Amino acid sequence: MTDIHALAGAYVLDAVDDVERAAFARHLDGCETCALELAELRETTARLADSTWSVPPPALREAVLAEIARTPQERPGRAARSGPGHVGVGRRRLAVAAAAVLLAGGAGAATWVTQEQRVRDARTEAGAAREEAGRIRAVLAAPDSVVRTGAVTAGGRVTVVASASRDEGVAVVDGLAAPAPGRAYQLWLIEGATATSAGLLPAGQGGGTKLLSGVRGKGLFGVTEEPAGGSARPTMTPLVALALT
Amino acid sequence: MTHGDSAGDVPGRSRLYAVPSTAPDQRAETDDLLRAVARGDEAAFERLYGLVSPRVYGLVRRVLRDPAQAEEVAQEVLVEVWRTAARFDPAKGSATAWVFTIAHRRAVDRVRSEQAGAERTRRVAAGSAETPYDEVAEEAAVRLERQQVRHCLDALTEVQREAITLAYYGGHSYREVAGLLDTALPTVKSRMRDGLLRLRDCLGVELSR
Repeated sequence: MTDIHALAGAYVLDAVDDVERAAFARHLDGCETCALELAELRETTARLADSTWSVPPPALREAVLAEIARTPQERPGRAARSGPGHVGVGRRRLAVAAAAVLLAGGAGAATWVTQEQRVRDARTEAGAAREEAGRIRAVLAAPDSVVRTGAVTAGGRVTVVASASRDEGVAVVDGLAAPAPGRAYQLWLIEGATATSAGLLPAGQGGGTKLLSGVRGKGLFGVTEEPAGGSARPTMTPLVALALT
Repeated sequence: MTHGDSAGDVPGRSRLYAVPSTAPDQRAETDDLLRAVARGDEAAFERLYGLVSPRVYGLVRRVLRDPAQAEEVAQEVLVEVWRTAARFDPAKGSATAWVFTIAHRRAVDRVRSEQAGAERTRRVAAGSAETPYDEVAEEAAVRLERQQVRHCLDALTEVQREAITLAYYGGHSYREVAGLLDTALPTVKSRMRDGLLRLRDCLGVELSR
């Protein structure tokens, strides 16, 4: 964590990866000076955006106004309900069993093979409970680990680092809407039509880092919103589904 | 340059849109509009659209270098503004910065997705990406703002300037920037931060109204 503060510039320029973003966001929670600096840097980058001013196509206005007329808004302190049209990867709504097929068609999840340098930097910042930290580092450093990221249509994103050789993975959930009271995000490992729970985020939390066990042989990772105690099987189409192979 | 929008063909069209300004009264107006949007006020959203959409579209297009994708992503951004307006907290910054944070993040997400990456590579390879300032309204205020940003960017060291522009306008991660500039990772991180701090001072950025 020695130089996490130096990430402020890269963070505000969206030039960090998801693991670093999550680590820096956690750092911000406990650092008032950093939050102030970050707010100033955000205003500064907004000025960089000012200079890009360009007349949008007139069709954009019509399209946006038509879409907001049928788009419900989030209410303060309540979860974004994932109604029709707001669930899925990319713009598709996926049934769990069908997800693998559609993902193979390239439904918006980005994939990189983890690079050594990325791993070296990321692993010091991955955070999590102390006894898990070593295993998380091992996953991030595994030569066969792959990183997959998907945006949740309703906002936020999910990143999974998975290593088949270690049979473990790390999930970073970042910036999802806080679930409704008494509900929580549940993580799943999915193979065919079978989904195995891979743990719950704390109730009411829209983000967190979780160590995953038993990733080997699983085709997909998914996230759903469930009652705070967790469900035996998903009760909804995953908000995001990422291929693990 | 291939492009889908043809606003440049129509002299005076830009008068239909608000010009960008960082004047305090416009900032207050944008903040107030976004708060009204959070209460479900569609008329306020239309006015907010007029104020921010040329910059949202311009920024997204600058990063994506593709008008068709830019239009799609700008639409996602503006609908997200509507949907999540209640998350805006004026104590943490301006409405403008809040909107552009969403816009930049979405644009960068698109750049880093596989399909867009391939498409973008193709475009860059085809040399179609070298016209960042086409078709832009010739509004005096726009030129002034652009000159000020340009002036302040010029006041940075070369590494600071390159690191910031490659990341912000090019959508590159700092690791990519380090490779492009053949500079060590910690140096790139530092130059991004100290360059932005210098820009902040040069542009006279202030948090409070």
